[in-house]
Amino acid sequence: MSSSLRNAIKRTTHKERSQPADRTRLGLLEKHKDYVLRAKDFHKKEDAIKVLKRKAAERNPDEFYFAMEKKKTRDGVHEERTTEQNKYTEEELKLMKTQDLRYVSLKAQTELKRVQKMKETLHCLGAGIEERKHTIFVDEYSEAKTFKPETYFDTPRELIGRAFNRPKNSQLEDADQLVGVGANEIDYDEEELRKQQERRLKKVAKLNRGAYKMLNEHEERAEQLKSMTVKMALQKEISHGKGVKKKITKKNKDGTVESYFVWKQIRKR
Amino acid sequence: MKGGAKVVVEKHRHEGIFVARGKEDALVTKNLVPGDSVYGEKRISVDEADGGKTEYRVWNPFRSKVAAGILGGLDNVHIKPGTKLLYLGGASGTTVSHCSDIVGPNGLVYAVEFSHRSGRDLVNMAKKRTNVIPIIEDARHPQKYRMLVGMVDTIFADVAQPDQARIVALNAQYFLKQGGNFIVSIKSSCIDSTAAPEAVFAREVKKLQEDGFKPKEQLTLEPYERDHAIVVGAYRVSKDKK
Repeated sequence: MSSSLRNAIKRTTHKERSQPADRTRLGLLEKHKDYVLRAKDFHKKEDAIKVLKRKAAERNPDEFYFAMEKKKTRDGVHEERTTEQNKYTEEELKLMKTQDLRYVSLKAQTELKRVQKMKETLHCLGAGIEERKHTIFVDEYSEAKTFKPETYFDTPRELIGRAFNRPKNSQLEDADQLVGVGANEIDYDEEELRKQQERRLKKVAKLNRGAYKMLNEHEERAEQLKSMTVKMALQKEISHGKGVKKKITKKNKDGTVESYFVWKQIRKR
Repeated sequence: MKGGAKVVVEKHRHEGIFVARGKEDALVTKNLVPGDSVYGEKRISVDEADGGKTEYRVWNPFRSKVAAGILGGLDNVHIKPGTKLLYLGGASGTTVSHCSDIVGPNGLVYAVEFSHRSGRDLVNMAKKRTNVIPIIEDARHPQKYRMLVGMVDTIFADVAQPDQARIVALNAQYFLKQGGNFIVSIKSSCIDSTAAPEAVFAREVKKLQEDGFKPKEQLTLEPYERDHAIVVGAYRVSKDKK
């Protein structure tokens, strides 16, 4: 019988069974296909180990390698390479390898815009109190000596550090100092109302923390992307830029090595 | 309990100014024209205790020196409901609109701006806010608009010119009442970009003192602006009152 005729007859397809119901706790049942993959991987690793073991066993300690020319020992200890390692984080390297400069700078711009947008409603209240300088002018030297911020600002001592809003003493007694804490449910008694207000304040504080956390993350990412664009632009200029350049390596006092490029100046016409 | 408030508004030390906290963390003013944004700023609606609703507008300290000064903790900004304010360097009217929110229907804001381009926005804003009077003139020549402006309680200046102190003094001579107040925003690089900011501020304060101003406080505007300061004080204070 020719093979084409044999193919015309429909045969039952071979089926592999799935995991029986009472053994489902053991997970999916391995099929032959899966076994082959696993076995191949295992043997590949086995072979690699075998090769390495053989190399180690047959190694000639007197043999010369070119890498030896640059290797050094200090006090009998092998010294590591002096070039800077782990200059880029894993994430940065991945970005640099897969994306081009224009894409990264576009992303950096978008991120910066987003941060600005968020800062429109998140004003970092309470920030920058260390860098700021508040000067009060007084008439007499004696006044400066007896100056007390809490009397000048007419506010409790513990609120002096709260620069974004230091309520006056008279305001603190004001009942409607806070708006929107929900006093409109009139059928609550005093105790219930107070509890409700506390709940709301807690909820609002939680929302606030969440918003700042988000802002922080975006700010960090924006900064990272920006530094990436600078690094990538430099890399591009070094590898594809025109003109004669010289690499200058400088050793700082603290032992770190710094290197940069200087291009030869050409008169532009 | 219903859905509950997502934002709580706290009264600020200065009358007419508020702080909204929640998903926002912002300085706000009560909107004089509810339902209307002036420069695309966010509006926040809050339930009042009596069941009504109030609308607030977010005042961005990264764009406004006054807002940055208020959040920095100025003791007194001298802008409150009913104040008559002369605003030099009104630009597009972003900060002017918030000042108009604060002074309310009983107050007045005279906004002086020289540039026609940003003056156009200022005029458009003033169409909806009846307490703003836009003046498209050079603040160096107050005699040109003396017929439009009455006596004012406070002068605010943000003109970023090397002769800012002189401009403020000229305007004060014409319009500021005795014992009135001034607020001057100083950008050190606009006055002298070679000197240290601290030295520039000190020099400007000195100039102001020579012109009859009595500075009360000076505040730098970090983290919102770099090398900026706000100086607040009084004008022609009578000796016995102080």
